[in-house]
Amino acid sequence: MVRIKPTRELSLAVLLAALIIFLSLTTNFNTVSGIYSFLLAASPTIVAAIALAMVIFTGNIDISAGTISGFVAFTTGYLFRAGVPMLLAALAGIVVGVALAGLNGLISVKFRVPSIVVTLAMTMVHIGAYATFLPGSGWVENLGPGFTWFGRGRLLGVIPYAFVVAMLVAVAMMWVAKYTRFGRSLYAVGGNAQAAVYSGINPDRTVIKVFFLEGALLGISAVMRATTRSEIMPSVFIGRELFFIAAALVGGVSIFGGVGKLSGVVLGSALVYLLTVTMIYLGFQDYYQFALQGTIILLAVFISSGDFSRLKRFLRPGTVGGTQ
Amino acid sequence: MENNTIMNITGVHKYFPGVHALSDVSLDLQRDEVHAVCGENGAGKSTLMKIIAGVYRPDDGLITLEGQPFVVHEPNEAYRKGIAIIYQESSLFPDMTVLENIFIGHEIRKPVLRGLRSPQMIDYRAMREKANAVFNRLGISVDLDRTVRTIGVATKQMIEIAKALSFDSRILILDEPTAALANREVDALFKTIRSLKSEGVSMLYISHRLDEIFEIADRVTVLRDGKHVATERVAATDRNQLVSWMVGRSLDNLYPKEDVEIGEVIFEAQSVSLRGVLEDISFNARRGEIVGISGLAGSGRTELALSLCGLVPPDSGTIKLNGKAVRIHSYREALEHGIAYVSEDRQVYGLVLPMTLKVNITHKAIRQITNLFSVINRGKEEQIAAEYMHRLAIKAPDSEFVVNKLSGGNQQKVSVAKSLAVEPEVLIVDEPTRGVDVGAKSELHRIISELAKSGKAIIMISSDLPEIIGMCDRTIVLKRGRKMGELLRNEMNQEQILHMAL
Repeated sequence: MVRIKPTRELSLAVLLAALIIFLSLTTNFNTVSGIYSFLLAASPTIVAAIALAMVIFTGNIDISAGTISGFVAFTTGYLFRAGVPMLLAALAGIVVGVALAGLNGLISVKFRVPSIVVTLAMTMVHIGAYATFLPGSGWVENLGPGFTWFGRGRLLGVIPYAFVVAMLVAVAMMWVAKYTRFGRSLYAVGGNAQAAVYSGINPDRTVIKVFFLEGALLGISAVMRATTRSEIMPSVFIGRELFFIAAALVGGVSIFGGVGKLSGVVLGSALVYLLTVTMIYLGFQDYYQFALQGTIILLAVFISSGDFSRLKRFLRPGTVGGTQ
Repeated sequence: MENNTIMNITGVHKYFPGVHALSDVSLDLQRDEVHAVCGENGAGKSTLMKIIAGVYRPDDGLITLEGQPFVVHEPNEAYRKGIAIIYQESSLFPDMTVLENIFIGHEIRKPVLRGLRSPQMIDYRAMREKANAVFNRLGISVDLDRTVRTIGVATKQMIEIAKALSFDSRILILDEPTAALANREVDALFKTIRSLKSEGVSMLYISHRLDEIFEIADRVTVLRDGKHVATERVAATDRNQLVSWMVGRSLDNLYPKEDVEIGEVIFEAQSVSLRGVLEDISFNARRGEIVGISGLAGSGRTELALSLCGLVPPDSGTIKLNGKAVRIHSYREALEHGIAYVSEDRQVYGLVLPMTLKVNITHKAIRQITNLFSVINRGKEEQIAAEYMHRLAIKAPDSEFVVNKLSGGNQQKVSVAKSLAVEPEVLIVDEPTRGVDVGAKSELHRIISELAKSGKAIIMISSDLPEIIGMCDRTIVLKRGRKMGELLRNEMNQEQILHMAL
């Protein structure tokens, strides 16, 4: 029995397709290099948005995802520069991601501080640490092709390695979300923490675990992004979390937890990135891009949620009841 | 007798900060028995159940399961030992499917690869088969892929039972299972309970509703203030006996309706309509009178109340107070005209649970306690809070006490106090005694009677027919948003009201 339900994933896919068709017709997007650069640029966001989405499923958030990525990139580049083999350097970077995100989770759970507070404070700590503790404020230059082979390499001359890895991560995490007890408990904790306890799930343990996992994924994402260039500046990662979170939300993840699909998050990430590409092709400057993207994200979340009742109520004056 | 005991609880104590929640409680559960546990809110029923389920650990005492000491540290452990609990508050996840809900936390798994140390993955097919088997046993069919949010209360309850049975439980604990069910649904639940009993499942059945205990239970244990009062075979006791055990005194009159001189018409609704919900509803209420609004769920009872007090202003119709038409388009205007509403859902709409009694009681009356610059006069605030705590006999240490620590009955009193503090002339109470115990129910009825006696007009919405019949001077019966008629006190009986409502 085949029936097509008008799901959020479907509407996102349609939106994505429409945007690609628009770009191919009006610009030179539809070329090997256009597709290549789109896939390359979208890949780190896909992985990081999945990381954030899994945290958001539990009703938590990590505002410091951007600055953690900066530490990962710095560690990887710095060690590579110091002569550590690339693979080991990347691994060390990912370990730093795991440690920092894990710390967020531990603090939030052990001291009962909402994750938004912990990670907001951590973001500030991280930004301060960039300037004070990292040698040369974290600048690492002239890394060379031994560093960028992964970020710039292509499979069969077209598909970036980064995209291949992003898809592998996406499939693996979709599997985790659907076929493991840990994956199901993410939704349970975010959906109704009390009921989760009654079902024998330990919400604290689940939340700590998901932050560690998030750190690992952020690590992979940051290595992907860092290896596209021959120099590293951690501060470019400041604010990236906005895109990660936006991609997850556009992909249908509820900010309140308990709801969302990772397939939607992949599409959401692609959509957010495609918007950036569209802006560039249409010749908007940086700051316009930000403002327009924000507006479009708001609209996208609104439209794909399909809930217009509030708008209707808002437009029908005199029916907004007071509180009791 | 002894070898037929499946679970034995002896001398259990449980302390919470400042409260001795359970004091030396003992209880035994026999095989194939439905054992009712009753008591007022705050008597310790739920605490006891949560200890058995592994949510809390007892501070003292011994529990044995089939003669073996029974110690559990988390709910899953209790489940694995064959004890399942169906909580009063729904423990389902609204955004998950039926199937996911049944197996959350104990998913059936299989190895990813055929190997000894292979990681495990969830086996949806096996879960589906087991879920279908459980629903077959319950004699109902449910779409396993439906999101629970879209399912009615009664079916949700069945899903909770299915979840419990998916553990192959031998002991099932039901905590107020009928609180949200309609009569027909209760019958279906009882059928299920009986068939489970015949299959050898023992049940602990917690309820306020005495009728149910007499219908379904074999034995009953009464708790009061955390202490064991009595355990008796249901056949050997009666309603009055149970009530006196529960409250520690006998309740002569459950509905203390007083004879009150009825005055002039104060409130009048004329042709109130709300598109798709209410159609052309007119009625009035006089000083000293309690007017009931009766009808089935979905008949528009609550919607009528909301339109009368401006929370959902009607599309057409007039509201008159003392003969003069008034404009009520917001709840603020209703309050200014002396109409106050007590919501049916105190937890969601009635109270700000994490705040103090004082703040809650003076919430609506905020204008009476603030000066020209909207600064709160602490003395006045305290004075009003103290006055209503005293008048309604709210049991709390002081007015700084946080509302969510109060029992359901006391919370309801606070919810009523909040509306009384604005000194309304017309009080609309929606399901005033839902989910409160017998003692608090009777106190709330006494309060309502006294208000009527003091010359206010009371409009009381209730799905509890004995309450309507016992308390009201007159009742309006609604059916699908239309008024089917009015019954006077001497014309009211359950059959007559149902006849009009159905």
